[in-house]
Amino acid sequence: MSKAIEVNNIEFAYLGSNDKSLSIHEFSVEEGESVLITGLSGSGKSTFIQCINGIIPHIIDGTFDGSVKIFGNDTKEMKVPEISRTVGTLLQDPERQVINYTVEEEVAFAPENFNIPAAEIKEMVNNAISSVGIDHLKGKETLKLSGGELQRVALASVLTMDPRILILDEPTSNIDPEGTNQIFEFLRKEVGKRTLLVVEHKVERVLPFIDRVVVFDQGRIVIDDKKENILNDVSLLEKLGIEIPENMFLARKMGLKSYDIETVSQYISENRIALKMPERKIGDKLSLRTSGNVKYDTGFDLNFNLEFKSGTITAIVGKNGSGKSTLFKGLIGWLDDMHQAVSDVKIETPEKVIKDNNIAERGKIIGYLPQSFDLMLINRTVKRELHYSRRVRGNSNSDSDIERITKLFTLEKYMDTDPLMLSQGQRRRVAMAATIAGGPKIILMDEPTSGQDYYHKKNLGDEIGLLKQMGYTIIMVSHDMRFAFHYADRMVVLDNGKIVADGTPEEVFDSSEIYGLLPPAEFSLRRGIIV
Amino acid sequence: MYSLLDTFISWFVLIFGVGAPLYVIFKAIGFNGFREITVYSKYNTFLYRVNPAIKIVFAVVIMMVVTTTIWWIGAILTVAVLSLYITLEHGKRKLYIGSLFIMSTLVGSLWGYAPFVTYSTLSVVFPHFTPDVIWTWPSYFAIMGYQHVLTLQALKYSFQISFRSTAIMASALLLVMTNTPSQILRTLHRFHIPDPILFSIMVAMRTVSFVLEYLNESIKIQMMRGLGSKHSKYLKPIFFFIAAMQGLVPTIIHIMRGGKDTGISADTRGFRATKKRSYVESTPINRLDYYMLAIVVILVVMDVAINIMGFGRTIPYN
Repeated sequence: MSKAIEVNNIEFAYLGSNDKSLSIHEFSVEEGESVLITGLSGSGKSTFIQCINGIIPHIIDGTFDGSVKIFGNDTKEMKVPEISRTVGTLLQDPERQVINYTVEEEVAFAPENFNIPAAEIKEMVNNAISSVGIDHLKGKETLKLSGGELQRVALASVLTMDPRILILDEPTSNIDPEGTNQIFEFLRKEVGKRTLLVVEHKVERVLPFIDRVVVFDQGRIVIDDKKENILNDVSLLEKLGIEIPENMFLARKMGLKSYDIETVSQYISENRIALKMPERKIGDKLSLRTSGNVKYDTGFDLNFNLEFKSGTITAIVGKNGSGKSTLFKGLIGWLDDMHQAVSDVKIETPEKVIKDNNIAERGKIIGYLPQSFDLMLINRTVKRELHYSRRVRGNSNSDSDIERITKLFTLEKYMDTDPLMLSQGQRRRVAMAATIAGGPKIILMDEPTSGQDYYHKKNLGDEIGLLKQMGYTIIMVSHDMRFAFHYADRMVVLDNGKIVADGTPEEVFDSSEIYGLLPPAEFSLRRGIIV
Repeated sequence: MYSLLDTFISWFVLIFGVGAPLYVIFKAIGFNGFREITVYSKYNTFLYRVNPAIKIVFAVVIMMVVTTTIWWIGAILTVAVLSLYITLEHGKRKLYIGSLFIMSTLVGSLWGYAPFVTYSTLSVVFPHFTPDVIWTWPSYFAIMGYQHVLTLQALKYSFQISFRSTAIMASALLLVMTNTPSQILRTLHRFHIPDPILFSIMVAMRTVSFVLEYLNESIKIQMMRGLGSKHSKYLKPIFFFIAAMQGLVPTIIHIMRGGKDTGISADTRGFRATKKRSYVESTPINRLDYYMLAIVVILVVMDVAINIMGFGRTIPYN
């Protein structure tokens, strides 16, 4: 077997920075090997990937030393297009990758760039489309596809040139559970056919398909081990803030050789070990009652009638197109200029009933944290951002309230910093703090864990846990079943515009698979076990 | 002495000039409407079948004609090109949205020019120029480059030259609505336009429809947070304008962050790998293209004739 990737003494610092973002002495991958690369956000994973596909040093400026060889060829001596014939790269956000109008045009983009004859391209496009299982999307417009579908189109486009090395850089971070399952299903089939580097936070989902685990921390490789040995590294992984499935912890604790769910579940069952369920609590006081109907000219029809209690975290889940976003837009009064929709959404709190779509009125009682939270950061400093809501609303919060919120989200250090210059996790905290500072007690969060690593998700979970204790009503739309299992008190499942399940995560996960929602390992371990 | 009322009117007029077009775009058109006129959709009327190369030449010739002839030629061409929208998919709706967009462009361009036009320009434009002053700005408006007074001639001149941009805008939108980004890329590549420019055009075509969506989201979040909620609903357009201005930076940064990934995605798929690109879809020239080409030739001949007849010079207008 030949070496697909050889890395020797590489160091990289971004332009204008004295700190090294990456420092790797030696690293190699055999041809056909599958490697999971994981680590916290900012640990150097993406920088490393960009060294492999030649983006560093050819496109991103900085100080680069050392050598990266792809099948014996030094990337410094090659151009990016030349490297791209061997190394295919799928990025995190499909909307940012796909640039063509139809699916076929997108998939044909790479071979067209290499000036391959049209007849050959057609065959390559058909093969790539079939390999990813998206034949049904042929002829469709990319703008009308769901995130999961779009990510598979982007994957097919990368595969058209049949690269010997395939890099998937957090391919499931921004897509729904169904799309995630399809990407992992593709990975399962692909193992051994080509060299795979998979950057992923969802360790639990990728482990079955890979040979080796590489963990980054502060620009260095701190773990590089075979999958079979990873149980020995569980403590270190936890210390590094990596998302470790509970079955791995338990297997390590119980001295089991295998950490697959069936083995661990059987051991637990046989030994009558009690696993604690996350504590769920539904508040007593009604905070919001909402009912409504939204009709699109496409025929989609959303009907709902829901009540939310204060001091409760509710996760609204479902496949793409099930109506989650429409429900949120209805609640916050954003459906008015969607010409294709006819809506009648009423919201009611114990104090008042709001029938019209006045955004400012709804904003008094509902705070909204969008998925693209950067769009709400309009002030020059974090301090001004937090005071903004208070200023424009009137004195709804005192200085001490702002101080309390600052402490709650640990933003003291950044008060004079431009919020847009902070890291993704910090920006999310500023946006959330600013939402709370406006005074609403009902907080709607759209995909709050999207693109966040385990460490930041845990922080978020702790923060919303505290808000819950303070009596806030948290309603979030999420694709992250693990997060919902750990932190939600209640789950509402939407399917094709209808509420099909509503209960505790345990009750919902019992039957959620029929709606394309795979329960997390933590639930599977506890299924049928009396605690 | 400049009264408080005069100050208020001056600021109102200033904000109206910038805010009104934005308000029309966001409220009357909406981001779905904006997307409809900036994105290709599949259909099969003659404009969709015309070769994109011919449509690019058509747009360039329109630009050439409106910049070298008198203003009312630009106005006629704006109306003529807009009327072609009726032949597109959802033609009536696109004509309505397109007209609103062109109107807002007209108002925006007019107010973008009028306060800045200097006396020297107006004396060249209008022989025997005697200013008809209709408003005097506060002295501190000079910091923004405003002339001391607003004249009727400045308004007239700005209105006339605004038609240059409206005709160009209408024909560019027509091109975008009837061709996919890759069809345009393919055509421009054959014209030997450098690859980085091609890529910029392609990414711009992809992202233009999202710009308004993101800005709209930013504005709505600010409204939710309470911007303008303490004030009368009649001042809503002003707060809407403030929200749009405040939302620009985060919107642009959000788009730029995405643009970096788009560039990496294209480069790691061989973009700029070779000087020549191949294309799966061929775009042959057919009979319809010759008809369209004939219209283009007529426009060029008309341009020459108009110039010979003395309506060619853009200034002076008299």
